Amino acid sequence: MGVVTNYIKDIQAAITSTYEGMSITFSHLMRRPMTIQYPDKIPVPIQETLPLRYRGILEVDLDICTGCLACERDCPITCITIGIDMNKETKQRYFTHFDIDVCKCMYCGLCSEACPTGAIRHSSEFEGASYNPAGLVRHFAPEPSNLYKPKKGGETEDKLIAKVDIGLKYLDEFATPDGGGAAEEKE
Amino acid sequence: MTDYAADTGFYAEEMTINVGPQHPSTHGVLRFVVKTDGEMINEAIPDVGYLHRSIEKIGEKVTYHGYVPYTDRADYLAAMFANQAFCMAAEKLGNTEVSRRGEFCRVIACELNRLASHLISVGTFGQDIGAMTPFVHALRERESINNLMEEICGARLTYNYIRIGGVGYDIVPSTMTKIAEFLDHFEPIVEEFNRLLSGNKIFIERLANVAVVSKEDALSYNLVGPNLRGSGIKWDIRRDIPYSVYPELDFEVPVGTAEVGSLGDSFDRFWVRIREMQESVKILRQAMTMIPKGPAISKVPRKFRPPVGEYYARVEAPRGDMGFYVVSDGSEYPYRVRIRTGSYTAMSIIDKLSKGIMVADLIALIGSLDVDAPEIDR
Amino acid sequence: MQALLDQMIQEGAFAGVPKEVVYTIAMVLTAVVVLSAFVAPLAGVTSWLERRVWARMQSRVGPNRVGPQGILQWLADGIKNIMKEDIIPTAADQKLFPLAPYVVFMGFLCAFVVIPFGESLIVADLNIGILYLLSVTSLVVVGILMAGWASNNKWSLLGGMRSAAQIVSYEIPAGLSVLTVVFLAGTLSMQGIIKAQGWRPWDWFMFHNPFTFCAFFLFFTAALAEGNRTPFDIPEAESELVAGYVTEYSGMRFLFFFFAEWGNLYVIGAVVTTLFMGGWQVPPVTDNPVLLGILQFLTFFLKAYFWVFVAMWIRATLPRVRVDQLMGLCWKYMVPLSFICLLGTIGFMFMDTNSRRIFGAITLGFAIATIINFFRRVGFQFRSAKPEAYWKPHI
Repeated sequence: MGVVTNYIKDIQAAITSTYEGMSITFSHLMRRPMTIQYPDKIPVPIQETLPLRYRGILEVDLDICTGCLACERDCPITCITIGIDMNKETKQRYFTHFDIDVCKCMYCGLCSEACPTGAIRHSSEFEGASYNPAGLVRHFAPEPSNLYKPKKGGETEDKLIAKVDIGLKYLDEFATPDGGGAAEEKE
Repeated sequence: MTDYAADTGFYAEEMTINVGPQHPSTHGVLRFVVKTDGEMINEAIPDVGYLHRSIEKIGEKVTYHGYVPYTDRADYLAAMFANQAFCMAAEKLGNTEVSRRGEFCRVIACELNRLASHLISVGTFGQDIGAMTPFVHALRERESINNLMEEICGARLTYNYIRIGGVGYDIVPSTMTKIAEFLDHFEPIVEEFNRLLSGNKIFIERLANVAVVSKEDALSYNLVGPNLRGSGIKWDIRRDIPYSVYPELDFEVPVGTAEVGSLGDSFDRFWVRIREMQESVKILRQAMTMIPKGPAISKVPRKFRPPVGEYYARVEAPRGDMGFYVVSDGSEYPYRVRIRTGSYTAMSIIDKLSKGIMVADLIALIGSLDVDAPEIDR
Repeated sequence: MQALLDQMIQEGAFAGVPKEVVYTIAMVLTAVVVLSAFVAPLAGVTSWLERRVWARMQSRVGPNRVGPQGILQWLADGIKNIMKEDIIPTAADQKLFPLAPYVVFMGFLCAFVVIPFGESLIVADLNIGILYLLSVTSLVVVGILMAGWASNNKWSLLGGMRSAAQIVSYEIPAGLSVLTVVFLAGTLSMQGIIKAQGWRPWDWFMFHNPFTFCAFFLFFTAALAEGNRTPFDIPEAESELVAGYVTEYSGMRFLFFFFAEWGNLYVIGAVVTTLFMGGWQVPPVTDNPVLLGILQFLTFFLKAYFWVFVAMWIRATLPRVRVDQLMGLCWKYMVPLSFICLLGTIGFMFMDTNSRRIFGAITLGFAIATIINFFRRVGFQFRSAKPEAYWKPHI
């Protein structure tokens, strides 16, 4: 008797579970697909939809870089190489090169957290295809440029004020561990 | 038997098949040398090492802070747990306090990551059995988790979120709301997943009584995590060797209950994972209400030099007990880092379980153990 | 057509060739051209539709780039495959390996000979139609076995062996289920079977009595197994056997296997429609033979395509059975059940028409109740997951 009951139960279970599964798959015909049709069939470029903390390809704003080398020291994979020299006559220190090898970079974010002015930061850019590895080394100082010296009592030059603000905002919202949360909770 | 071959001229030989390292369902680059008699497997010998990246050795060359992103790569499906295990070891060595909000952020991030990892596990398991739709549904939900992770820490897979002393970034209230929304959406999806896949008669028949691991075997082969709990042993690091704020949270440890077949079969291991996902949702809900205000990370010196010593920290990762053994010689770099992962020990039992099962069952067995190639080789 | 041929013979175009030979060659050529022109796009569009349906069931979009809504995807895939290098492994059997795809293809193309698309739209109304169909579709197994053996690859061999065991076993429940219909119709001819039914659903053999209703599902399941469809796709189970018997194939030969698979799907639908769902029977609305022909073709095509859709749907839902469970399902469940259905139907044949019709009505009522309940269940599934509704079939 038990054998026959089990036999019928097996058939019943097979039919009902298939029925149930088919009703679920059918109901999916009426649901919106989750696909994002990158890169063309989307209303806005995908870079604009990424969250603030997104760690994309590194970018450097050399105008507000103090040349403290904190990022170079903190990078676990040594993908940042900075060269600083001093002009003997004017005593002005300048960058000879500031290269980031995007090939090596693992987007850990340690460099941008170490930066005191927010000069090095992650952009929301992630499309970095290149035909040769050498093309992936980003040269941020193509020609020698002077280091930034923070002035006491705030920045005065108009061009730099905006840049410093962007850098500090970035530090506030992204890099400091409780920046975003504290800012929102204050409001 | 030998007479048959002599009489007929047909010699029945054992066939050696190479499963992997580029086989669709070895979850990465695993290799098995399988000796079969037709469809029946006589022996399946795992061959590991195709994904070795010498993460342990790298640990001796980078600073404590700089090593955290490398631990992500030890198991990229559950990067958060490797982060946490290493940071726990480093904190213990350096006598660093972890901020309380940081602990809760860790729990939230880890449990989200556990959901993501288990979704991959049960989804690919369905795919190994031949059900394509549950796999894509699971990946769809994981995509939402990845988006949340992107908001929390800026990366989708290799997070580098948990740092020595706390977490890298605070979880802002707007992200909290999104997590809560996701959990509300996720719970019915698990139910739907169960109706679609777990309750399916074919699925149950494929898994029930296949590759049964007895309690004794599970212990002697050092299975950990859901594989161990699938055999009915209630052992969870979160409960038995408490760390972080898990003692304050209320959650069950699901164990195998011989739901459809015998205790410790493939279905039990699968079912433990499904129920762990539901428990993770519970933990997340609690952690989000209990999270205190304060800094997300405590003050840690930039040059982190722990005193001479050694410590072994272990966490309950999705693939079981994950441990980091860190030896410090007082310098800026660890003297030695040793990683212990669950998948590696799970590989050892495959040889025993695979005797006398079919080729299709071997695939189900690999899927049910949820072995993960990066975690095996490190 | 015949007049044209006669005229050409009169003019001495085929001097020295017997008339019968010319007729035969002309017939075969016409059939091949017509079938190829019909079958190739059919298999192609089926492949596209399967991918789209499957994608939507998985919350994806599916191919939507080539042509409007991606409907020309199959052309792009076909061209790509033709242009690929045709690799024959050195260790493979140099004669059997290239031949196997064509044997598979022939097996399914021959089935189209007896498929009745309309009252007059049939290549040859053989008096042993359904028997012929069952035998030529079994030819596929020869091709698959050839492919599996000739590839000289262990995965291919396993796939070929599985396929042989599977198709041979499932011939039995399929044949027995067909037999119930043959008993009712009293003929093996495809047209004869359709003419024994009517256009109303309660005239279909499916709703003749509860046993034919079961026989219908048994036949459909067995046909899925013979067509190597999920949940019985073990010969090419990609998560187990890499790609089964097609592992070593590439380019055009690879395409032919899948051509046959998707074409075969339509054959399954067509046979099910013919045997159980009244084939091309339409209500008598018009006397115009052309219009009637078109209407019949559409009716048949849509009915058959519905079952193609169901096969896609099943593929999106179910996992794969194991090889021993496959055999167990066949011999322990389907063969006995189809015997019961056969005997039950014979019992009903002795019943007088009025009492029989009551059972037919009960069967039909049960089917309608199931469908209504199914859609209520779909509604429940939809509500329980709280998704965003999206009714548009295209995206």
